[in-house]
Amino acid sequence: MNSHLFQGSLLRLTAANPDSSADVDALMRWARDSEYLRLQEGDPAMPRSAARAKEILSNAQDHDGATFILRPLDDERALGFVGLWANWTHGDAWLGIGIGDRADWSKGYGSEALRLALRYAFTELNLHRVSLTVLEGNARAIRAYEKAGFVLEGQARHYSRYDGQWYGEVFMGVLREDWEEKDSSSKIQVPN
Amino acid sequence: MASHLFHGQLIRLAAANADSDTDTWANWARDSEFLRLLDSDPAKPWSRQQTRKDLEEEPKPHAFPFVIRTLADDRLVGFIGLWIPNWNHGDGWVGIGIGHRDDWGKGYGTDALRVLLRYAFTEINLRRVSLGLFAYNPRAQRAYEKAGFVLEGRMRQAHHRDGQRLDELCMGVLREEWEEKNSKIQD
Repeated sequence: MNSHLFQGSLLRLTAANPDSSADVDALMRWARDSEYLRLQEGDPAMPRSAARAKEILSNAQDHDGATFILRPLDDERALGFVGLWANWTHGDAWLGIGIGDRADWSKGYGSEALRLALRYAFTELNLHRVSLTVLEGNARAIRAYEKAGFVLEGQARHYSRYDGQWYGEVFMGVLREDWEEKDSSSKIQVPN
Repeated sequence: MASHLFHGQLIRLAAANADSDTDTWANWARDSEFLRLLDSDPAKPWSRQQTRKDLEEEPKPHAFPFVIRTLADDRLVGFIGLWIPNWNHGDGWVGIGIGHRDDWGKGYGTDALRVLLRYAFTEINLRRVSLGLFAYNPRAQRAYEKAGFVLEGRMRQAHHRDGQRLDELCMGVLREEWEEKNSKIQD
């Protein structure tokens, strides 16, 4: 069995801690950056209150699938999150991910979190596919998704409007077979 | 697409109606034999209040409870449900009861199991369906076998009834077995 599901080489998948003021502060701090919010989701960008941050952290455990807080290997700082929202009947999950502070962008955290999340989706949740949508203009994210194995599946045109310009919504997905072929760590190692 | 998922040949699977079903349902538990065949809790009559509360409650996540009604006269004869303890493994557990003795041995349970397995495999796409029963319930075991379940294990002396230690049986049916048996999904 592969027993290091939560462990990467840069970061760990951990539980959210709604009682930790550090976690609550991190979620509030990320949401002061409207660029983070726009790249993160389609809702109108709004700063987060402490109550809202706490609510998000509390709900992390409480849905079909799993939401993890990303932390470095050697300290408890929250770097971001990755979540899988499963539709069990059809074996699909929607993936959401965010790396909070700009100082942590482009350090490889997102790519590793994606790799860990897909391994979790396919080897622990036993899903058949993982789906996501991303803003057309978010080239950094699209590159990371492609690196993780996602392929472009479609696009909804003129889906979001920011600063007077229309952006499409890009649909991407990865099938279990594609991931297995790409990732040899999917094989369960049975000790001799 | 199979568009009559809830209909069998004798019965249909329906949502409970607390207003009209509570009395019938509560009265089933006057029969201690019914209770002993149903589960391993100490047999106790069911209050109307508790029964009504149970029937009014929204199904819990990952529970698919149905009542069984006759097609002929829309009469409530029992209940059946699927519970999914772990979706990631694609396994569901069945519970079923036909309430009144007059309705036992009429084929209602067998028909309801057939409809429920079709639901389990074609609507919620499970990989297997499991159940447990008591060694002193051969009527149920025959119905389960007819529906496609095979005996998978035996917990020896798990129950104590009337001075005897009796086994609990584990049965299951895999998706492939069910598909082979039902080579065409009946519309």
